[in-house]
Amino acid sequence: MTRLLLRCYPPAWRARYGAELADLISELPMTPAIALDVATSGLRQRRHAAALAINGGLLMTIGPAWRHPTAFAVIGAVLLLPTFAFVGASLLAYELGVDSVRGVIEPVASAMARWRFVDLLLVAAPPLAFLAALAPLVRMGVERRDGGMEAVIAVRARLLNVVVGATALLLAGLLIWHIVVESVLQAGA
Amino acid sequence: MATEPGVSDPGLLLLISLASGPKHGHAMLLDIAQFAGVRLGPGTLYGALSRLEERGHVEAMPAEGRRRPYRLTGSGRGELKGRLGGLSRAVRTGLQRVAT
Repeated sequence: MTRLLLRCYPPAWRARYGAELADLISELPMTPAIALDVATSGLRQRRHAAALAINGGLLMTIGPAWRHPTAFAVIGAVLLLPTFAFVGASLLAYELGVDSVRGVIEPVASAMARWRFVDLLLVAAPPLAFLAALAPLVRMGVERRDGGMEAVIAVRARLLNVVVGATALLLAGLLIWHIVVESVLQAGA
Repeated sequence: MATEPGVSDPGLLLLISLASGPKHGHAMLLDIAQFAGVRLGPGTLYGALSRLEERGHVEAMPAEGRRRPYRLTGSGRGELKGRLGGLSRAVRTGLQRVAT
């Protein structure tokens, strides 16, 4: 009987108070008045929950807001791939002295010297990939709470997105370091 | 559930009951029946309790076996003082008017 009466309450309310209410009911004689009290209170809670869903809670979200995080991470990784390949090959060729890689990277580097927009795309890719990977981890929104409006920012961690974002950051750092070193060397010469 | 004339707002009765110290559900029912002569139903009690907790006026304490005591928060004490102050003004005004 108690279990049946508790079904009148919304699931979230039942999860929080159900066991306590069941315990209290078990200490009282089950009269029709008590059964009616519990049932009507449950229906009031359901009405309250429905009103909150309509009038309260989240009003507006900005950005991807946790939607399609895997797709965004894959887009970020795809954007990052050419820069990753170029920076990786450059490190192998010029920092670690792997000659076979140097033979591959040098024609690409000379082609890039002719088409500066390719250079620009390689530099722009990490920040774009960073944004693509991490944007769905952030939910910015406006919520109605206690009759007023509240701006809220919530962040969640997701391994794939964090790995892509961190790689993008690392590549951006390497590129900036490379550009700064080149500028200093050129100024010195 | 049956109520008697007088203060019958379950939320106010709960705040008054918890003002004397933490209590679990059954102890609140007994206390309220004693000081206000009002027999709240368990559904009404927990409905009011959940609203008060939602507003931060009461908070749950660690469970003692199957029972969980609740206590008044600072905000709940303020709310109780405000509501009793309003009632007290209404009672004074009412008494003055019937006396004249």
